Amino acid sequence: MIDIKEIIKKLCSAKGPPGCEDPVAGVVREIWEPLVDALERGHMGDVVGVKRGAGAEPRRKIMLAGHMDEISLTVRKVEDGFIRLESLDGMDQRILPGQFVTVFGKRPLSGYIGSVPPHLLGGKDGQYPAIKDLVVDVGLPAEEVAEWVGPGDVVTFDAPLLELGENRLAAKALDDRASIAAITICLDLLKTRSHKWDVLAVATTREEVGSDGARATAFQYRPDLGIALDVTFASQPGTSGVTFDLGEGPTLGVGPSFHPKLYKKIMDAAGRLEMTIHADPAPYPGGTDTAEIQISRAGVPTALISIPVRNMHTPIEVVDTKDIERAGRLLAEFIAGLDDDFLDSIAYSLEPECKEEEDKGGEEGEA
Amino acid sequence: MKELIKKLTEAWGPSGCEHKVRGLIAEEVRGLADEVRTDPLGNLICRKGSGGAKVMIAAHMDEIGLMVSHVDEKGFMRFVPIGGLRSVALYGNRVYFENGVVGTISAEGEGWRTTPDREKFYIDVSTGAEAGPGVGVGDAAAFWREMVERGNRIVAKALDDRIGCVVGIEAMRKLAKTDHEIYFVFTVQEEVGLRGARPAAFGVEPDIGISLDVTSTGDTPKDDKMTVELGKGAAIKVRDGGHIVPPAIKNLMVKRAEEAGIPYQLEVLPGGTTDAAGIQLSRAGIPSGCISIPTRYLHTVSETVDIGDVQACVDLLVEILSKPIEL
Repeated sequence: MIDIKEIIKKLCSAKGPPGCEDPVAGVVREIWEPLVDALERGHMGDVVGVKRGAGAEPRRKIMLAGHMDEISLTVRKVEDGFIRLESLDGMDQRILPGQFVTVFGKRPLSGYIGSVPPHLLGGKDGQYPAIKDLVVDVGLPAEEVAEWVGPGDVVTFDAPLLELGENRLAAKALDDRASIAAITICLDLLKTRSHKWDVLAVATTREEVGSDGARATAFQYRPDLGIALDVTFASQPGTSGVTFDLGEGPTLGVGPSFHPKLYKKIMDAAGRLEMTIHADPAPYPGGTDTAEIQISRAGVPTALISIPVRNMHTPIEVVDTKDIERAGRLLAEFIAGLDDDFLDSIAYSLEPECKEEEDKGGEEGEA
Repeated sequence: MKELIKKLTEAWGPSGCEHKVRGLIAEEVRGLADEVRTDPLGNLICRKGSGGAKVMIAAHMDEIGLMVSHVDEKGFMRFVPIGGLRSVALYGNRVYFENGVVGTISAEGEGWRTTPDREKFYIDVSTGAEAGPGVGVGDAAAFWREMVERGNRIVAKALDDRIGCVVGIEAMRKLAKTDHEIYFVFTVQEEVGLRGARPAAFGVEPDIGISLDVTSTGDTPKDDKMTVELGKGAAIKVRDGGHIVPPAIKNLMVKRAEEAGIPYQLEVLPGGTTDAAGIQLSRAGIPSGCISIPTRYLHTVSETVDIGDVQACVDLLVEILSKPIEL
């Protein structure tokens, strides 16, 4: 049995901004190495762990995708020893002043994002500074900063992992390293469970800037099914819209990007485990690796399992490890049930079928 | 043809839930195609002929709609859009779910005084009874309205793009024999980003693509953003917001229309695009064009077309497919 907190600590402390995932890729390789038959590298740097199934060749393949990149900032320019920033991937400007960061120059430099004291704001307090007005200070003389750092270098949060209570963790990059932990749990469970299909465990790159990694790997490895794992919004004070309580289980995406019969089969697997899964409405594609896997080549049936996280896109993302464990168990249960006929069993029919005979059941009479 | 338009426009099928429409079309094309199948995304692929130029015709089965994101204890539901909802067309409208439940859309407070943000709208599915309405988070809904005829005009929901499907089906009916290998593809998920057509084109691997879709018009009061008019014939696309048609394809369409005396007009659409844009970007690039059906009031329940234009589109497509296709 693997120690989930230990795994998450390792994963989240590693650096991996989009396009510069090598440090975290090394950690993923180390964790997956004992769990898979082969470790490969996709053309865009994705880590691809291949765990072969017991079925006869040619075997069907399922791709599991969790992204290992994390949100980050980019250096715009260096000015008088201070580093000016640019945002490229959904960074939240409200939380930046006062953060510790690492600047990936010619060598990694520790620094912080400065905050002008309220006394010196000239009456402009109460506003969030724009990212272009923020600077990073690495505490070195101007000429040294200019020597080590240049435009395009990446900057990530440098934040410790905090254990909160019994099952909760606060850390940077839980989006989406939490999912890589869930895939790890699945791989570990599959060591002792027979499965017919090949499993492609993929830690993808560049999800935060448009899922370039998942697109390339799906094209290269031609999976028959794709399940992406990502984070979804956990309920917390001040939120509106669709949120899910921490510790109440992972969610399953519903919407055009998700194959309705695959959705049902995963719900069935959850039912076998007596696990609660909430429907997570996502009517528009994008925002996760499924967006690219689904339309790879001639199309791939896809699903999305999400883990609720609070404070998304901050250095204090919070998860409940029970949700991660459940996501891993659900994946393993589903994969162990994949047989030779699975694709036929979810194929779209030519009949004017109803959404699903089974799932409306007792409520149908109300209409 | 009007019978078919009624059947298809009144069918339920928001993006991702095209199964009912797919079933109706599959029934219709039985006997018209040499092979009918579905692909991993749910596109309906109908082949007619073999050998010769490989042509992919695409018309999308899905329609805009919405999805429930939250239900409160009184039966008021919040929703998120499926495709390009127009907030101004929401107030007082009706939607229906797959199980037949009809919901009324309204907006918070005195929302009728202005057009509120989409977040302020809700769907009322209250029944006045204890039992809930049997719909919940994640369920999709489509707008509800019956088709009506007004002279040569047809007014209906979902003419975008069931009318394109009708043009495709009627062309299959009319096209007795062909030297080409034609794939009539009824696509899924056009309204959420052309997500069916591109993988379908990858699978079919055609030499050329033609989409059949609606286009806007510039013939209503104080609207002169484009020159397309209802009743002036098939619209041959020159370009739109996401697609420049290779001139050779546009010219071939124009030539065939003129040879056969089919009324046509050239279309330059400032915003929006069609499945042809997705096909064109599939694999190593597939030159693609589009025959558009001029349509007023797009993305409302009162989309309006001229039946003469629809016939011109059918005739033009048949004309193109029954003659040599050389670019």
